[in-house]
This record gives sequence, structure tokens and C-alpha cells, in this order.
Amino acid sequence: MVLASTHPSSLRAARRLLELPPAVRRSFWSTASAAAIERKPEIFDLVCVGGGPAGLSLVSALRSDPATKGLKIALVDGQDLTTSRTPGNEGFSNRCSSLTPASLHFLKEIGAWNNVNNIRTQPYHGMEVWDGVSGSKISFDPVDQTPGLLDSLAELVPGSRFAASKRKYETGDPTTVATICENGNLTAALLQQLKESGGVEILDKTKVESINLGPEPENEEALDLSQWPVLTLPNNRQLAARLLVGADGANSPVRQFADIPSHGWDYGQNGVVATLQLDRSFTADEIRTAYQRFLPTGPIALLPLPGNRASLVWSTTAPFATKLKQLSPPDFIAMVNAAFRLLPIDIDFMLTHHESVSPASELAWRETSTNSKSLGLLNTFPRVAEVQEGSVASFPLRMRHADTYTGHRVALIGDAAHTVHPLAGQGLNLGLADSESLVKSIAYGMETGMDIGSCWCLDGYNADRWAKNNAMLGVVDKLQKLYSVGSGPVVWGRSLGLDLVNKMGPLKGALMGAAAGTK
Amino acid sequence: MASTLSAQRTGAALHKLLRLPPPLRQRTFSVLNRPQPNYPGHVPLNFIERGALAIGSAFGSLIDPYRHDLIASLGEATAKPYFVTRLRHAMISHPTGRRILRDKPRITSKSLSLEKLRQLPENTVGRAYAAWLDSEGVTPDTRDPVRYIDDPEEAYVMQRYREIHDFIHAITGLPIIIEGELAVKAFEFANTVLPMTGLSLAAIVRLKPMERKRFFEVYGPWAMANGLKAEEMLNVYWEEELETDADELRARLGIEMPPNLREIRKKLRDQKRAEKIAREGEK
Repeated sequence: MVLASTHPSSLRAARRLLELPPAVRRSFWSTASAAAIERKPEIFDLVCVGGGPAGLSLVSALRSDPATKGLKIALVDGQDLTTSRTPGNEGFSNRCSSLTPASLHFLKEIGAWNNVNNIRTQPYHGMEVWDGVSGSKISFDPVDQTPGLLDSLAELVPGSRFAASKRKYETGDPTTVATICENGNLTAALLQQLKESGGVEILDKTKVESINLGPEPENEEALDLSQWPVLTLPNNRQLAARLLVGADGANSPVRQFADIPSHGWDYGQNGVVATLQLDRSFTADEIRTAYQRFLPTGPIALLPLPGNRASLVWSTTAPFATKLKQLSPPDFIAMVNAAFRLLPIDIDFMLTHHESVSPASELAWRETSTNSKSLGLLNTFPRVAEVQEGSVASFPLRMRHADTYTGHRVALIGDAAHTVHPLAGQGLNLGLADSESLVKSIAYGMETGMDIGSCWCLDGYNADRWAKNNAMLGVVDKLQKLYSVGSGPVVWGRSLGLDLVNKMGPLKGALMGAAAGTK
Repeated sequence: MASTLSAQRTGAALHKLLRLPPPLRQRTFSVLNRPQPNYPGHVPLNFIERGALAIGSAFGSLIDPYRHDLIASLGEATAKPYFVTRLRHAMISHPTGRRILRDKPRITSKSLSLEKLRQLPENTVGRAYAAWLDSEGVTPDTRDPVRYIDDPEEAYVMQRYREIHDFIHAITGLPIIIEGELAVKAFEFANTVLPMTGLSLAAIVRLKPMERKRFFEVYGPWAMANGLKAEEMLNVYWEEELETDADELRARLGIEMPPNLREIRKKLRDQKRAEKIAREGEK
């Protein structure tokens, strides 16, 4: 997904300085490299750079839509996309995503979900989110608990439809909040789908060497590619794209080519991921719950995987993340258990003084003197028993949003367009929604006879997605900031707010709907 | 028939209206329905009882400052919310404080052998403590157990505060006469921010004008400056510092020795007596 064609910034700056003005550059290129480019660039309707879930789903969706089925498509990725999947349910990847019902609907629609190895995915039906400082919490529980104070008051109002609207999401079949799926599983399924349908040139293990505008036409009759992006691949192969799609990750070379600035900030946090084993095993049809606790250093989440497995996403400060990765497996397990159970200051202490104290013994004695119920811990919360060997990894967390998703003959989707904090598990879902929307725009363009690389065709995509993504990015970013506060009035305010929302069924239902991406 | 049904329905509705909502119903806490104690000796109190205890013990201890049981209750009734939690958190995030919470040591005449302390070299903390206990005629056993704080660990923090109080007397050399006690309480207020220590300062009104002037000019400023500057007194493992040199410990904690109150008072007393004798001689 990440292309290796990122140059050191100094080199880039120097090159930019030495570059000729575009008009001259073009003529210079066309004359100087006329010998080098003996072949004319191959012309594609759509070239997608990046074979991650966003890019692959875009191409799959284009193949499945009758309006866009005829497009000549190439997919370029620097990595080997054909890595084999792990069969059965032994050993899970630490890179998992929770797919919302909207994303799942899209994947089912394009037919890719049939290829996903289902015994390695896990839907979950409930969600418990609590404040690590005050212990106030919000629970999205399919099997409802005792009614809250506001519920009881509202039920007293004659003719109130409060209860009915609440039941709508709380009763009936246990509705799926989201489905956890390994990124590798999804990618493999999409790839299989593409191979089965054919018609797409998949160029993996192929590094994009450069992206430039095409040469000036040599004469009046020749095809004018001067406004087309032309990708140079190894072996002097050149692809000209009517529409170039950048699905090439956070450091997108396509975005750099299109000169679209991307703004945002680094959180100074790292996401520590790991695959864990719990102390109890779940059968496939049991109701599962995802847990997230907001600590002032960042949220920690435990997402269910099949059987007794679970996926951990722990956002924490960069020094703490480094320490967590250095811990021995028993210490790491103790730290994870502690992070869900003890006071935030205990966790800070254990990670600051990890050389002198043993996390396991600290956890043992602190647990007896901590009232974990007042910290919001549920009785049903599982205990982490083991960590899968070699599965602890970390990545820096940042927020980035491109100023626009489209340029002339360029569109950005997925992480190339936006990077989001993982606390709401929305990153991949936004990427899938992007490709769904872009496919819609392209299909509309095809049906109405537009040039699919033109702004007329692409503007619909930008208009549809940018504001929505910006809202989601903003909400997630504000939540991160709100929950980074460790004490004082902010904590009281947010706890009161969370407790109130927790007691208001319909509002909770609406929130759930927003998070699930239902329209 | 219809009317009885509707009457029944209204009755049910009325009943529903008058009934407390379920979450409140569970929480009701009255004289008849008391929760289980969280630790031996714990007396759970509700908001009103706690308030009454705070006000009652505040007035009681103002009337009779030697009622240490009332001062203790005042301390417990006003420690929540925030204050004792803050102290507990300060202890949890300090290596020594954390060790104290883990070991939960108690300071009694059984855990500390006064005989042994008296044998320690001159100017050690233990010797100063023993000497202070001897000169004031008190023992470590005169401390009441904590009863009104709900969390067991916070109750221990309060207990610990109460037990190290004498150590603070010992290393500052302040006596337990009201003036010295007030200086220590002011020091503790600046150091621990427990409301009871601050409320105790109301006893300033009981001081003689001369003493009050001395408090505002000498001991009050000393207490504030040193209490804020010094490390948390609760994070000192006093049992391990018994053989430490008192000056060294004071330097490590950042406490300056206050002027010796007993000496000042003695000097003033002698001066007054001399003046009196001189006046009588003139007659």
C-alpha cells in the first residue's frame, strides 16, 4: 500500500529548485527523452495506485458495476499482493479493522464478502465505552439492562413514544455493531474477487518510479497527453491514465503529484496493536462485546476475534509505546490487564518505573485495593491470558486531511485523502465509503457520456465525501482531545454528558446509527 | 365495570408516579437500610449524616480543642470528595508512597519500640521522635481508627496522616500546646490540603494577642512556605528514616527548622518575671 517512491525531502526540494517551468519542462522532456520513450505510453481509463482495501475495493466495485465494467483498468502496488492467507483460525494478524454494517453492505454488493474467510471474522453486538478517570460509561447493549432514570421519567409521560423508539434498536435480533476482520483477509478476498472477474491489469511488486504529465503532441493528429498523468514503471513501461486514483496511503505520491496539500497534526501518540488470548472462549453464535477505556494517555480497546482471541489497540504516548514493545509477554499481559482495571496514575507509574517494578505483582496488589467497579469496569470483562508471539507492534497516530480529493484527472481515496485517530475504528470504513462514492460518480459519468477524468465527473465524489469525512475526522479529533484531559471540570463535564447520553436510548440509537454509517 | 377499570388504571399510574425511579430506588440509603461496611470499623454515612457530622464536630472541637476524637471526625467528614483522593493519588504515583500503601504499616507502640528509639544516636529522627513523645507525655497509641471514609485505601491514607502527625511535631520540634499545634496544622494544610487542617486554624481566635501576633508573624509564614515547598509528608517512610539524621531528612524534604517555640515562650516568661521582680523591687 505504501509506495517506496518517497524521496528524502532535501532531494525533492533541490529537484524542485532545479526544475524548469512546466511549459519548458514539457518540451524538454519530449525532445530529450524521445529516444528513451520509444514506445508511446499505454493508455488506461483508470490507474489505481495502491492495492490496499480502498484501492482494491474501488477496482472491484468498478468491475461489478455494469456501467463501468468496460473500463480499462490497471492497479499498481509496490508490494507483493499475492501473499497467502492463513487458513483455519490459528494465529491472527495484529492489523484488524472493524467494518461497519454500511461497509459490509458495500462489500457484499460488490461480491467480495463471499470470498472472505468467514471463520476468521467476528461480528460484535455490544459496545462498552468508559471514562478511565471518572468511570462514567456508555453501553450499547443488545440485551438491555435495567431502565435508566430518564427512561423511567419518560415512560410516565402519557402518549410518549420514547420506549418504542428505544426498543427499535435495543430489542429484536441482536444487531451487529460492526464486524472485525483482518486487513489481510479482506485484501485477499478483494484480490480473489478481481482475479475471478478478470479484466484488470494487476501490477504488484511494481514501484511507481515517477508520475509526470504526458508529452506535448508531436503533431496535430497525435493524441494530446499533455494534461494526462503518465506513470513511469520499471522497464521503462509507461501508463497514461484518463483518471489516476491515489489509494497509496498517508504519504501518497499521487497526492504529491497533484500538488494537493494535506493538513493536520500528529498526536504524539502511538497505537500499540497485538493479538491476545482471553481467559474464556466464545462460540461463534455468542453475543460479543467490544470494550474501550479512555485513559488520559489515550484510549485502549479490546476487540473480539473468533474463539478466545481478541485484538488490542492501545493508543498511548510514544515513550510508553516503546516501553510496551520492550516488555516480556507476561509483563505485557499484566500491563494490558492493568490498563483496563487500575487507576490511570497506576498505569503511568507502572510504565514509568517498569525497570524497578514487576507489572504482574503490581497488578496483583493494586487490583485488591482498587475499587474497579467505581472505575467503570464490568463484571463480564474478560481477562487477557496470553499474547500471540511477535504480534506486538506500534504505529504513530496522526490526523491529516487533504484540502480536496480531486484534481484534474486525479482522485484520492482512503488514507491518501485522510488519516484519522483509530479511537472510533473509522479509518478503513471511511476509505471504503470513498471508493463506493467514487464508483458512483464514475458510473454516473459513464452513463452521461462524460470524460471520467474531468472535474465535471469527479466533483460529485468530492462534494459527497469531503464534508462527511471532515465531520467524522473533526468529531474523532475532538473526542481525542476531550479525553486527553486527566482531571478537573473537563472530566466532570464529559462524565455528566456521557452519563446523560447513556440514559437516553434514542440518542444512543442515533449515535450508533452514525457510527455504523447507516444512511 | 369501565369505571373500576379506569380507576384501577389511574391507581396504577399514580403508584408509578409516586414510586421512585428504579435507579434511585436501589440507591436509597436510610437509617433502616444501611450498606455493609467496606472494612472492619467502617461506618457508612450518607450525605446528610456526613454534613451533620462535619458541622457538629467542627463546633465541638472549637469549644474544646483537646477533643481529638472530634477533630478526627471532622477530618474524615470533610476529606471527601477530592482531598483524600488527591493524597492517595500522590502516594500511588510516588515510589515510596506506593510502597507504604502496599505494606500498610501502622505506627503504634507495638510496631515501634520506644526503648530502642531512646537508644539511637543523638539527632536521629527516631531519637527526636522518642524525645518529643517523652517531653510531651503522649504515646503513639492515642490515635483513633478511621471510621467514616468509604474506600479502604483512602481510609488507610487518612489513618497514616493521623499517625505521622507526631513525626511532623518531632522533626519540627513544635510542642502540642495550642500555639505549636496550630503551627503544625498550618504546615499540614499547606502540605496535604486536607480541609480539617485548614479548619483547625479557626482556633487562632483562642490564642492570646501576643501568641496570635507571633503566629501571624513567625509560625504562620513559616508553615505556609515550608508546607508548600516540602515534599508530601505522606510519602516519607518514617519507619525507615528512624536512624537518619534529622537535619539530613529535613534538608532532603525541604523543611527549615522553625524558631524553638518553647524557648521563645520561656525567654519571654523569664523576661516578664524579671520585669515583675524589678517593678516590685522599685516599690
